[in-house]
Amino acid sequence: MGVAKAAREAESHTARAPRGWVVWAIALAGCAAAATSFVLALNSDHVNEPGLQAALMDWITLPYIVAGLIAWRRRPESRFGPLMIVAGFVMFMSTLAWANAPLPFTIGQLFDLLPAVLFLHIFLAFPTGRLQHALDRVLIGVGYFTAVGLEVVGLMLGGFGPDNLLEVVSEPAAAHTLLQVQLVTLSALCLMGVVLLFSRRRHAGRLRRPVALLVDSFALGLVMIAVLFVTGAFDGPHFETIRRATFFVIGLAPAAFLVGLLSARLARSAVADLLVELRHDPPPSELRAALARALRDPSLTLAYWLPEYESWADLDGHPVLLSELADGRATTLIDRNDAHVAALLHDRSLDDEPELLDAVVAAAAIALENARLHAELRARLDELRGSRARIVEAGDSERRRLERNLHDGAQQRLVSLSLELGLVARRLAPGSDEEQLLIAARDELAASLKELRELAQGIHPAVLSDHGLTVALESLATRSPVPVALHVAVDGRLEPPVEVAAYYLVSEALTNVAKYAHASRAKVDVERENGTLIVVVADDGVGGADPDGGSGLRGLADRVEALDGHLRVSSRPAQGTTVRAEIPCA
Amino acid sequence: MRVVVADDAALLRQGVARLLTDAGFDVVGESATADDLLDQVRTRKPDVAIVDIRMPPTHTDEGLRAALEIRASHPGVGVVVLSQHADVGLAMKLLDGSAVGVGYMLKESVVDSDELAEAVKRVAQGGSVLSPAIVSQLIGRPRLDDPLERLTPREHEILALMAEGRSNQGIAERLDISERAVQKHATSIFDKLELPAGANDHRRVLAVLRFLRPY
Repeated sequence: MGVAKAAREAESHTARAPRGWVVWAIALAGCAAAATSFVLALNSDHVNEPGLQAALMDWITLPYIVAGLIAWRRRPESRFGPLMIVAGFVMFMSTLAWANAPLPFTIGQLFDLLPAVLFLHIFLAFPTGRLQHALDRVLIGVGYFTAVGLEVVGLMLGGFGPDNLLEVVSEPAAAHTLLQVQLVTLSALCLMGVVLLFSRRRHAGRLRRPVALLVDSFALGLVMIAVLFVTGAFDGPHFETIRRATFFVIGLAPAAFLVGLLSARLARSAVADLLVELRHDPPPSELRAALARALRDPSLTLAYWLPEYESWADLDGHPVLLSELADGRATTLIDRNDAHVAALLHDRSLDDEPELLDAVVAAAAIALENARLHAELRARLDELRGSRARIVEAGDSERRRLERNLHDGAQQRLVSLSLELGLVARRLAPGSDEEQLLIAARDELAASLKELRELAQGIHPAVLSDHGLTVALESLATRSPVPVALHVAVDGRLEPPVEVAAYYLVSEALTNVAKYAHASRAKVDVERENGTLIVVVADDGVGGADPDGGSGLRGLADRVEALDGHLRVSSRPAQGTTVRAEIPCA
Repeated sequence: MRVVVADDAALLRQGVARLLTDAGFDVVGESATADDLLDQVRTRKPDVAIVDIRMPPTHTDEGLRAALEIRASHPGVGVVVLSQHADVGLAMKLLDGSAVGVGYMLKESVVDSDELAEAVKRVAQGGSVLSPAIVSQLIGRPRLDDPLERLTPREHEILALMAEGRSNQGIAERLDISERAVQKHATSIFDKLELPAGANDHRRVLAVLRFLRPY
């Protein structure tokens, strides 16, 4: 394949994957750390149930390091993996407090609260490993200061037994109060982090399932840390039970991460399904659903590149702005031969599965190109229809203007002139030559007015634009040389272009009936039904009209189609002619 | 007889007002807009309002709407609508449902002061006036097995005058025959066209128009 190349617009940092020996070294170090924890616990003189404690610690340490290594190899540019590895080792460091020797004990004590902040850090930085919001950075900064900075102060104030190397003064009461402050602050930070992330997620739409699982397990862990710390700070009941449960839950997060990976593997089979599906050449309208299934992202939308307009559009050719991305959304551009083809607008978490994206994009390359052509065609058709409608509209409004000018100008003046002549005539002696001349002039004027009226009427049917289709069609039907049965069921006014099209359609059809049909009668039905104006003109004449011939029907079809409508002419010999138009009128 | 004249073309409005004054009418108001016309009808209580069909601001159907409004809220005031076009559909819309005290005239025919004066008087008395230009279109309209062909030329003539809104007396004067003769012709016309015999003039106009319309 290799015809389509996915370029990641979101995070395009290039970073190398860790080398093999680095991975192995870290893995070995992790195992050593886990073993060390066990040894420390079993030999400790101040740990109850050392086996269980060590097992719980390693339940966290090892999965974090393993999951971190996998994440790092998969997405070297993301800091998510390294963060998890660090969290695993920090967890181990805190177990140094089990040591009997003063130095490791002091170091372990220093790291005691740090894992909680790291978990929060990982949670807020998912999936890029970077803190995107300033508020998050403040939260984490305060967390590190509370967990490490204040811990140093606490150790200097004494407490934590005789092995505390950092003790400067012995103020156990003050140290205890400080610890309470630390624990409560960290609890608050954890809860704030959870609230923040969930409120942001609510705006980003539906989460992809494996991601939702991971986020939920992290959130549960953080809430439990908060409960644990508050219980610890105020010597609440069941501290030990809560602690074990908390550790258990925190260890679940990497498991959720691995489940996500596993489901990414399963997604490969979805790509195979996609290939089979695309072989049947589905219509472009079904492509989005197929891709959404394969990517397991129900929120997926597609945009296609229209080089002629240098813009993005949906399948119907309507413009789409890629810059207007909601929080948690990302864009993947699909290029082919150095030209854009399409863009996938998807959940940001898909960035974490580049292989899946690449596979899906490669499988759908031809289909996407087809869909792009479809979108381009639709956009051009739209433009064409728009320009056709504008041309017709421009002609109509020019005619309307001419008619208005005639009405307000020449016609009005001539009527006034005729009136003046009438007033003058009344001052003349009845039966005089002057009066006769004046009367003759007025008759001449009346004839001119009649001609002018017919001219104006021919330029534009004023009664249509002034009073609507129902009134105008009655005038039209009255003037038809063939008997017309008229039925109009249209309430109120329609859009001017629709009225004009319907009027000219009936006018032209009735003219054709009179000229060619040899009909004894015609029927005109105009109805508005479900947002469509249906115009039917039928006669009982000889039929055989050629819709594409010079009958003026072609021009009418253009007018109707410019409004996205349809015109159908059925005219079999000896069966009369029926012209039926359907014009959308919202 | 009190009359208000509404037309945005000042020259024409003043001309009509002068014609009517000369003919002995009392022109109590002139309006250039439909809103002002409605005000004047309310305050000056005219017998007849003469209304140009195209009035500001859009110069489309403001005049017609004002006319319909006067007919609805001041049934005692007659309305004569002036149009530059002989539009059957428009005339029928104005007379739709009632032919009492209403008229549709071509603007160019008001220059004949006798015609205008007669129209205003008829409308003031609750009669109707329909421009002959409209009536000739309605009568001239082709029909299947044209029932009008069964009428004699004289009956044809009388049908047209009935459609214009004339009373038996008016028709008799016009044709210089007796009112009884007109009555006989009218009965014959209604028989031949299978129309219900009209009791009074404006019902008769409606029946005739309903028969003549294509719709």
